[in-house]
Amino acid sequence: MPQTVVGVDIGNSTTEASAATIGSDGSVQFLGAALAPTTGVKGTPRNVDGVADVVERALRTAGVAVGDLDVVLLNEATPVISGMAMETITETIITESTMIGHDPRTPGGRGLGVGTTVGFGALAETPAAEPVIVVVPRGVDFEVAAGEINAATRRGVAVAAAILGNDDAVLVVNRLDGAIPVIDEVSRIDAVPLGMLAAVEVAGPGQSIRTLSNAYGLATIFELDAAATRVVSPVARALTGNRSAVVVRTPAGDVADRTIPAGSLELKGENRRATVDVSRGAVEIMAAVERVSPLADVSGEAGTNTGGMIANVRQSMADLSEHAVADVHIKDLLAVDTFVPQEVRGGVAGEVALENAVALAAMVRTRDSGMQAVAAAVADRLRAGGAEDVEVIVGGVEAEMAVLGALTTPGTDKPLVVLDLGGGSTDAALIEIDGSIDAVHLAGAGDLVTKLIDAELGLDNLELAEDIKRCPLGKAESFFHVRLENGTVQFFEKPLPATAFARVVTLDGHSMNPIPGRHSMERIRTVRRTAKERIFVVNALRSLRTVAPGGDLRQIGFVVLLGGCALDFEIPQLIADALAPYGIVCGTGNIRGTEGPRNAVASGLVASYAGRSAGVLVGGSG
Amino acid sequence: MTDRVLTFIDEKPAEPGKRTDEVLVGISPAFADFFSQTITGMSHADVVRQILAGIEEQEVSARIVRIRHSSDLAVVAHTAAKLSGSGIAIGLLSRGTTMIHQRDLPRLSSLELFPQSPLMTLETYRQVGSNAAQYAKGESPEPVPTLNDQMARPRWQAKAALLHLKETEQIVKGAKPVEVVPQFAEALAN
Repeated sequence: MPQTVVGVDIGNSTTEASAATIGSDGSVQFLGAALAPTTGVKGTPRNVDGVADVVERALRTAGVAVGDLDVVLLNEATPVISGMAMETITETIITESTMIGHDPRTPGGRGLGVGTTVGFGALAETPAAEPVIVVVPRGVDFEVAAGEINAATRRGVAVAAAILGNDDAVLVVNRLDGAIPVIDEVSRIDAVPLGMLAAVEVAGPGQSIRTLSNAYGLATIFELDAAATRVVSPVARALTGNRSAVVVRTPAGDVADRTIPAGSLELKGENRRATVDVSRGAVEIMAAVERVSPLADVSGEAGTNTGGMIANVRQSMADLSEHAVADVHIKDLLAVDTFVPQEVRGGVAGEVALENAVALAAMVRTRDSGMQAVAAAVADRLRAGGAEDVEVIVGGVEAEMAVLGALTTPGTDKPLVVLDLGGGSTDAALIEIDGSIDAVHLAGAGDLVTKLIDAELGLDNLELAEDIKRCPLGKAESFFHVRLENGTVQFFEKPLPATAFARVVTLDGHSMNPIPGRHSMERIRTVRRTAKERIFVVNALRSLRTVAPGGDLRQIGFVVLLGGCALDFEIPQLIADALAPYGIVCGTGNIRGTEGPRNAVASGLVASYAGRSAGVLVGGSG
Repeated sequence: MTDRVLTFIDEKPAEPGKRTDEVLVGISPAFADFFSQTITGMSHADVVRQILAGIEEQEVSARIVRIRHSSDLAVVAHTAAKLSGSGIAIGLLSRGTTMIHQRDLPRLSSLELFPQSPLMTLETYRQVGSNAAQYAKGESPEPVPTLNDQMARPRWQAKAALLHLKETEQIVKGAKPVEVVPQFAEALAN
């Protein structure tokens, strides 16, 4: 007698269902599918609401009455959850207000000016001797400033340059008898030391300064010996790429590029142990993780930022899974180098430096999942809802089911690797020619990409960062056309919304969301793509090396990408490009030729059940 | 203490601009003419000077046109925007209400609107000029923060209505916009 079954896959963020009828000979006919957001934490009885919802909707699209439902199959969810944290590991400190390198949008004049700093009020009494650099506080009108500078110049005072508090550089320079370099918008202008030798340099539009960003240029101006030149070299480096800058020579002035003692990570492998300092960066951390793998647990040095970071991850995982903290073990760790824009300590103009940071994602293996409890709750709910004879079975391990589902993608064959690119974790499973299956779960996926984009662009808005992750960019150059990120132009019949004008926008196909701030389209695109590469490409290679026979990627024929991030517009290409040298066929899955990268586990559950009930092994019946 | 006085000279019919690096400032019929200060007593000379300074700091050129046929801010700003080589214009009413407009926008829309004239300061006018110039250059400025004071309406509404009536009386029906050149002079305060 044919049976009506529904396979249900409870994921971290979405619950998917496939409805099918299974003939007495084990033949499977898929009728409909549905998906809904997962309710509650995966593997807890709160999942019931989401499950009941998708089962009903899958049956409705299949055109089957709830009362005819025979079997619901649930996946044995992998008992892993993931968490992440970020720690800044460098900071830039300016002492004695030695340097102003804040790159105002509109500096004035061109060239290099060297002289002694003098307050605006004292300019009138300054004798005509050595060249001076005038420091003009906020509140002085541009015409007054220009007038005083002109008057001083006429008296014979060599005014070599000016530093302004207001955004007035162009206005002042336009009113001067002779052009001098002027830097403006120095917010804490009262902190600029007076009576000190200083240099101001302004480059032309699109250029960057040459002298102050060169250690020997500074040595020439300030007549430094070799030892002092070594001391100022961080100053020169900090100013690289700026259009304008000021350097003041003070007795103990310095710019320090300090490494924050972040603490170390202790990696406990099943056979080996390693300790690695977080401030050494992601490459060394990941090398250590690989050396000790398989990981058994990770702890951070007590009393350090790293210690706090790991403790936070552990605590939030414990809260989420309702386990004791002692039961939470970190089974995988992904470290990613990133940089965070932060205000420079000691800066006088709100200078921002990109500080190095390390982002960590941790994968935690919890005790057994509570799937049996979920199954019982689902059975109660569905029986109450009219499916009186329904049986709810926990039908198979997630990774195995995903492989069975993935094999229904047209054009695939064994040996095949499924890469499930989710929100919290990247999961891989290999099925070899003999049908044996091996799986691995790695930390770091879509959520970490969002977090990196948020941090690196300084957005402080995860929703916007998520939008940037998902959608291509454009710039609304007029009300009727948008320059897309590939350089082409899209025209519109109706004027664009006023909020989008002149802004970089995300294009999700229906609407445009303007991105605030001054980031250029190229910069946002670079941040987005490198964030995806640093996580998904790295994790793809990492997971394939783990599951591939003998760690040799060439032994893998096919890689099928599944999960929400496989729907992304560029992640599949980035991974395919990275895998191409190994002769691997890589692409986004198309489950049963119709479902795209969705529904693999649910389809696999049904196929596996059909195979079992017919007493034959089912490979890839579609 | 000296006060700045603004007079407009060299009046001529306003032509559409050909340069794409210009911002137009459209002023209402009575601006710096029948009236000489805004609703809060800020001198029109200072207001115009700050707007022009904001544009100049961005290295963009500016022209001023007087719109004579309407005292409606949207009309003033949009008419100026249509004459602007970059399509960007600032509209300015005698009482101080301001907006940044773009010629392709519907008239009643705007890029940035500063509806509460009593809350405007000289710094705001400087930023308005600066932002308009950045739009003209195709950059993406942060919109000028607009203040909102719940009490501004009851406190100033009567005066604003009166000023609007007076401004409207200065309208010349069917008159074309004229381009003017600002001339600032220092005068002793009374």
